[in-house]
This record gives sequence, C-alpha cells and structure tokens, in this order.
Amino acid sequence: MKTILKVQDLSKSFEDTQVLNNINFKVEEGEFIAIMGQSGSGKSTLLYSISGMDRPTSGNILLCGKDISKLDDKKISEVRLKQMGFIFQQSYLLKNLSIRDNIILPGFKLGKLSREQVNQNADALMLKTGINSVAGHDIKKVSGGQLQRAAICRALINQPDILFGDEPTGALNSSTSREVLDIINAINTDGKTVIIVTHDVKVAARADRVIFLMDGNIHDKLILGKYERDEEKTTSREKLLYEWLEEKGF
Amino acid sequence: MNWEIVKNDFKRNKVINIALIIFMIFSVYLAVLSVLIGIQTFTSIAELYEKAQPPHFLQMHKGEVNQEEINEFMSDYQHINYWQTIKMINVHGESLTVAGNDDTYNLSDCRLDISLVKQNETRDLLINSEHEKVILGVGEIGIPVLLKEMYDMKIGDHVLLTYNDSQKKFVIKEFILDSQMNSPMVSSTRILLSNEDFDMLKDQVGENEYLIEAYFTNSKEATNFQTAYENAGLPQNGQAVTYAMIFLLSAITDITTVFVLLLVSILLIVVSFICVKFTIMAALEEEIGEIGTMKAIGFPYTDIRDIYIIKYKILAIISVVIGYLLALMTSGIFTNHIKTTFGNMSMSPTAVIISLVVGCLIFLLIIYYCKNTLKKIGKVTVVDALVRGKGFDKDKGYVKDGLYKSKKLPINWLLAIREVFYNFKNWIIVSVISLLAVLMILIPFNLMNTFESSEFITYMGSSLEDILIEVENSEELETNYKKVIQVLESDDEIEDYHEYRRIRVQTIDSENELMNLNIDCGDNSGNDLKYISGKAPYLENEIALSYFNANEIGKDVNERIILSYDGKEKEFVISGIYQDVTSGGYTAKSKYDFSELSSIKYSFSVNLKDNSEVENKADDWSEIIGSGVTVDPMEEFINQTLGGVVKQLKTIVFIIFIIGASLVMLITVLFLKLRLVKDYSKIAILKAIGFSEMDIKSQYLIKIGCVSMTGILAGIILTDILGEKIVNLVLSISGLGIKRVELIVNPLVQYILGPLSLMTLVLLVSWVVLKTIERYNIISIINE
Repeated sequence: MKTILKVQDLSKSFEDTQVLNNINFKVEEGEFIAIMGQSGSGKSTLLYSISGMDRPTSGNILLCGKDISKLDDKKISEVRLKQMGFIFQQSYLLKNLSIRDNIILPGFKLGKLSREQVNQNADALMLKTGINSVAGHDIKKVSGGQLQRAAICRALINQPDILFGDEPTGALNSSTSREVLDIINAINTDGKTVIIVTHDVKVAARADRVIFLMDGNIHDKLILGKYERDEEKTTSREKLLYEWLEEKGF
Repeated sequence: MNWEIVKNDFKRNKVINIALIIFMIFSVYLAVLSVLIGIQTFTSIAELYEKAQPPHFLQMHKGEVNQEEINEFMSDYQHINYWQTIKMINVHGESLTVAGNDDTYNLSDCRLDISLVKQNETRDLLINSEHEKVILGVGEIGIPVLLKEMYDMKIGDHVLLTYNDSQKKFVIKEFILDSQMNSPMVSSTRILLSNEDFDMLKDQVGENEYLIEAYFTNSKEATNFQTAYENAGLPQNGQAVTYAMIFLLSAITDITTVFVLLLVSILLIVVSFICVKFTIMAALEEEIGEIGTMKAIGFPYTDIRDIYIIKYKILAIISVVIGYLLALMTSGIFTNHIKTTFGNMSMSPTAVIISLVVGCLIFLLIIYYCKNTLKKIGKVTVVDALVRGKGFDKDKGYVKDGLYKSKKLPINWLLAIREVFYNFKNWIIVSVISLLAVLMILIPFNLMNTFESSEFITYMGSSLEDILIEVENSEELETNYKKVIQVLESDDEIEDYHEYRRIRVQTIDSENELMNLNIDCGDNSGNDLKYISGKAPYLENEIALSYFNANEIGKDVNERIILSYDGKEKEFVISGIYQDVTSGGYTAKSKYDFSELSSIKYSFSVNLKDNSEVENKADDWSEIIGSGVTVDPMEEFINQTLGGVVKQLKTIVFIIFIIGASLVMLITVLFLKLRLVKDYSKIAILKAIGFSEMDIKSQYLIKIGCVSMTGILAGIILTDILGEKIVNLVLSISGLGIKRVELIVNPLVQYILGPLSLMTLVLLVSWVVLKTIERYNIISIINE
C-alpha cells in the first residue's frame, strides 16, 4: 500500500506552550484514521498542522512524498484546493451562496475540469448524499445534517487525495450523525483516505485505526480494521475501543 | 480604569485613531478659523470704512469740471448729505522710478492707472495700517499697499518722478490703505503726496482726472443718483462706481477664502462623523463577543455604551482643544492679507467667543453622534451576540443561486462582481465618496480651465481677437481715435480689425423710470459673443443687451425697446442677451451707427496675420500712439482682469484635489477595515477551501475598484450634467454679470487622468489595508 501521508518529528508550540512533541506516523492510501485524545491533548492542532491550515514549529509533513510543511501561502492553498478536502464541526458554508454554489466553488476555482463537468460532478455528489432537492436553497433554510452533507460534497468536489474532518458530527444529533458517518465510510470504501479528529467513540469506531494523543505525544494506537455495516460488529468495535480508551483514563 | 481602556484601544487601533483625531482636529481647526477670519474680515472692513469713509457714489472724469454746476446739482438732490470733487494727477508708470537698497526699477509694467493725490479733509481718507489719517511732509510719499505687494517696496525707498525735463524725488514715508482702490481687481491706484508737493505738480505733470464723490443718507440711493447725474449732463468721462461695487471688489478675495474654508470645514466635519461611525462600528463588530458577555452578566446598555463613549469624549476634547488653539495661533497667517488690505486690527473678543462656541458645538455634535451610533448596542441580544454570531448591522445579505451558471469569468472576478452587484448597498459609501470627490475636484477644475481659456473673453463683451485697443474718454478722445485709425490703416501686418464706438442713449427701465444705456456700435458689434438667448444684432433696428441691462429694463429677446437720444426716439428689437463682466456688466451692442451722437469711448479689436507677433506689435503701437490709449494683447487683457481670480482658483483646485483624494483614501481605508472585520469568517472559510491570500486580496481589489469606478463614472456624468448648472448658479449670485458659462472641459483630465489617479490611490490604500488578511485563519474562528 502506498503511503499517502508521512509525519516526521512534528512539533508545534504557541509562545511558551509546547502543544505537539515530535509526532511521527504514517497514513496509507485508503486508510480511515481517527485521532482521539483528552481536551488539550493537541489533536486539533495536529489535524490543522498536517492539513496545512497551520504551520508546524518544526518537523516535516510529506503528502504524496512532497513536504508541505514549508510551502508558502500560494502553494499550500493550491495543495489544499487540489489534494485535500476538509469538513469542520460547523459546516462553514458561505452565507451568500446557495448549497449548489457552495459545492462547486472549489471546483470552479481549481479549473482543472470544465465548469459543465464540475456542475455534473456536484449534481452526482448531491444525489449520492441525498441533498439534490435542496441544491438551490439558501443555507439558512436547510437542516444541520443537510448542511454537513453539503460540506462533504464541497470537500470532495475536486476529488482530493485526503479528506480531513474536525469533529464532523459534533453539532449533529445521533441519527443525523449516523447518516453523515455512513457517507464518510462510503467515501472511504471508494478508496478515499480519511483522517478525522473526534472525541466520540461511535465516530472513532468507524475508523480503521485510532491514534491516541496525550500531552502532545502519540500515546498509543489501536487497529480496528475495515468497518463493515453490521450492527453487531459495530457494537463490538465500539466496545473494544471504549475499553481501550478507559485504560488510558479517557 | 477608563484611561486604561482608552490607552489599550489606542494601541490596538493606532492608525484609525490617529486618522480620527487628525480629522476631528482639522474640522475644528477649519471651522474655528473660518469663523475667526469671517468675523475679522467684516470687522476690519467696517473699521476701515468707518475711518476712511469711501464714497457711496463715485464718478471718474478725465478733463475739466465745472464745480459750480456740480454744486448746484448736488445741493438740489434730495438724499445727499455730502459731496466733494477730488483732483488727481494721472502719471504713467514709466515716469516713476523706485530706488531701494538692492534694486532700482520703474513702474512701466504696472497695469494699474496711477494717480497722484493729496489728502482729503474729512471723507475718502487715505489711512495707514493703524487707521490713522496720513499727513505727509514735503518730499514724502505714501504708496498704496497694492503697489507695495506688486513691487516689494520698503519704507525709506526713494521714488523719482520724471516729468517734462525735471525730476522730483520723494521718500516713501507710509504705505497707505485706500478704501476704494484696495483690490487687485480695480484698474487704478492712488499715490499720496503732501499738499505742497501736489499743488506744485498739479498743472505741470500728467493729466488731470477728477473723482466726483457723493454721500447719501442711505448708500442704496447711489443707483438712482447715477441716472440723475448722467441725465444732468455732468462730467462723466470715466467709470462710475457705487458703494456696493467698492465693497465687493475690496472684500472678494477674503470672502472667497472664508467661503472655501467654511465649505471645507463642513465637509471635514461630515467626514469626521463618518470616520467616527466606522471606527465605532468596527470596534463593536470586533468586540461583539465581549459585549454579549457583558449583557449576559447583567450590564445595562448604558453602562456598556459609556465604556465606549469615554474614548470618543477624550478624543473629541483633545481634538477640539488642539484644533481651537491651532486656529488661534495660525489665524495670523490667514488674516495677514486682511491686515495688509484693511489695516491692523487685534483679534476682536467677539471672534474669540464665537469661535469658542463653535468649537464647543462641534464637540457636542460629535458626542451626540457617538451616542446615537452606540444605540446599536441596545438592539443586539445576548443570543445574537454569543450564539448566532449576528453582527450589529441589518446586513441581511443576499442569496442568489446561479454561480454555477457562469461559463468563463475567472472565479475571483465572479465572486467579487456578484458581491457588489447583489450587495451594492453595503458598498455604496465608497461609491458616494468617489462621486463627491470627482464633483468636488472637476467642477472647480473646469471653471479654472474656462477662465484660463482665451475663449473666456467672449464673456467679457469682447470677441476673440489678437489685440484690444481702447481709446480712453478724455479731451483728446477724437485726436487719439484718429491716431489709432492712422496706425491701423498703415500697417499691412493686420489681417482685419473692427471698430466700436460707445455712445449713450436713454430708455425706460422695468420700473418705468428713465435710465441711461451705453451702446457699443459698429459693423461687428455683438458678433462672436456668448449669448444666453437669441443672437447678435444683424439689422440696424436690432440691439443686443447685456444680462444686467436686460434685467434692469425687464425685457427679453424679440421684445421691443424705445431708445431716446438727441430729442428723438427710435424703436429697436432685442435680438439677443449676452454676458459681460466689463463696465459693471451694463452694456449693449448694435449695428446702428447713432451718427448724431458723440462718442464716449472707442475700442478696436485687431487680428494680425502672424499672431506670434502680437506682443511686439502691441508694444510698437503703444509707443507710436502714445498716452490716452491702451493697447493690450488680448491675453494680457484677460490676465489683467482675471489673472488674480485664476491664480486663486489654481490654488483652490490644488487644495481641493488633495482634500478630495484624501477623503476617498480615508473612507476607503475605514470602510475596508470594517468590511474585513465583518467578512472575517467568510475569508477564513475561503482560505480553508483553497483560496490563497492573493485570491482574496484580488477579490477585494476588484470589489473596491468596481464600486469606486461606479462612483467616479457617476461623478463624471454628474459633472457634465450639473457642473455647469452649479457654476452658473454661483456666478449669477456673484453679481459679476455672468449668468451662464459653458464650461470648457479638458478631456484628458476629466476622462482619463482624473479618474485614473483617483482609482490608483484607492487601489493603493486598499492594497495596504488588505495585508490584514494574512492573519485571518479558520482556526481562530473555530477557537472562538
């Protein structure tokens, strides 16, 4: 399997506070990684650093073999546009654009495909995620779940190499969370690499592998294997994960 | 604690707070200054006039006078309470040589008519800068301040008068204030001699001219008196002037300055208010979380408001104090011209008190406006502030589906244009300020362009020719006329020339009273002028009237008018109404020759074959023809009449450009800062999904560029439509005799350089402000 992301000796500090300490790990193409940890463990900081949203204090981040940790703003923006998709806890869609326009925006910006092709891809994504009926709607007039699905579509419009998520179901109720997680799993099943930060066991249980951070270091890892849509197996994964986390005092 | 809040806020927003203070200081400064200068101007003039007592009516006359005739007329006139006839000796500039410490020169290039006079007894006094009547001894001379400004003369310099084969030496003892002839816009000036020197020279030097002066119980009587005087056939070989005209000519420069200062200060006060609003709104938007928290804790709206208002109270107090003191300290610079023209005068207590009141008023206005703006705090709820993240403005925004339909336009242009198109009202302030700046800059510029243009002569009752010759009214009138004809007929470098003869007839005015009408007759009379309505006279029974005359007579184009002269009447049809600033604005033109009447004046407009020779030719003819005739290249004539006004306008245009450009830049900076605060999350999201800082900066530059260009274009169109109307309104109020001017536009400036330079400035400052984007990050939104 091809290594899509390699993090080498990554450190991040803010003024006098060391948040990440020499983090090292690899992500293979098609993997679904969940990063967990207590509040203040540095998990979000790690996510932002490896997704180019924030610059690490030291270390390297190799995306498809290319170090993105020292790229200037223009180049890192290009990387984010072409190779990454991001889903936040709040959908962060642009208020003055409709659902559809929010989705096609990165596609039009990239300009790799014709606009017609981008529109078609957007329509396909909206159909797949079940939000095609609200395509032309104002974002204030749709539900939280629909917004999050729109955010997923936006994140995928340019067929990125990696999809990042920061508590993507954090603002959703349980049934909507399940729907969103099913979509994320389906994307991963199609071969997309997914890295998510979460504090939710049910979310992390969908991942292939869980990385546990403590005090800015990788404390432990748990391999769960590929998720299957089976209630019993899901429960078993959640229980395994739960016990593992309990040992760590989570 | 309040001082700490202010200090911290100042540190955080240094640039904006400094800009705010500067604008507040300047608005107070200019408001106070214009009040000080305004009051000083009027009190100075009043004091000068009280001491000097200029006449209510003045008739100049070249030639001899019959004083008994004058006395008889004056004593019979009902409302008159004093009159006098003053003798003057007219000399040419070249007969006066000034010897200073460093330099010796004569006054041959002086455009003013120079008259030697002695001091009057009780009225129309020539006084010094302390408003004291000047009494000179033998060998002493008093030079008018007008000449002092033109030639840099000093007390103690020597003046040599050369006449016949003799010379007389004088020493400059005083610089005198002449309440009648103080202004650069008049054509004459008086030099004071001692009684003895004047009596010695009066029949030996130059030509005699008289000032016949009358004083009434009410100065407004002057106009009626003028008609009666002229009809009585009394001496009138020269200009007649009323008190109102004397005042206007004296005060026009300083009144213009006061007017401009006041306008600019009002504008700056408005701008200060806009700045205050923007800075308050930017602060509130940035601190909405803190405000929401304070409300959640239980702070009432007034307490929260007072935290903000203390800062503006402190800024306003500092600005008002500095602005006021600065105005007091520097008022001397601006009142220098007033002192020179009207004499020394200490700052009147009225001026100080009123200007203090103005300063306090501005302070109160600023605080009132701040409180008004801060009312918004009361309108936002805790939930809006802390949960929904709604801002203070009713920025409803727009949602227009359709971005996906775009086929070609680059995405940055697409986003930018959609934003300003659908959300224009959120950007309108930049457009409006750009529009106002364009209007403010282009209208005076076009006016200056028009005044500078040689075509402007057509507003002065004269057609556009190379040389203008005027044969002055004197006993030598006909002799000099023949000399001119001889010169013109014998010079084969002339392409053509036109002769005009001024005569006087009578007609009935709109109040059914008899009035005099001066008419310039000639084959070309009335041609090539700018007509408000109608056209030049063509037939012998047609007459064109100046705008003032048409108003006075109360008639319009195609109406009939009866002219009385030499015991008979003749009916004319009014062919057109034109504009004329000469002769007080009261002239008329006709092709009819009125051969029965004697001439008051002759004038000639001459075209040369080679107009590069104009100046030399004018000099040659002047030398051949001699005194009593002025020979001026048309350009020189225009410069003499309008040179002062054009110079003033150039300065004003320059200052206004600086102000207009500064305004646009400042408002752009403030607006953009506020906009960036409001758009923080939007920018961060765009960055998160892959738009670079350059992309986002481009979008804002496109937005700002589009809205300013909209304003600039609208400003240019409005200038084209309204510019002339505004100028004409001001000119018709000014009483100069011009009702309608066709502004001459410089297309390069109006359509290219002006817009380009404003746009460049806007984009430049925007670029600087947009550096803020570099700190915007999705992480900070999430962390909030």
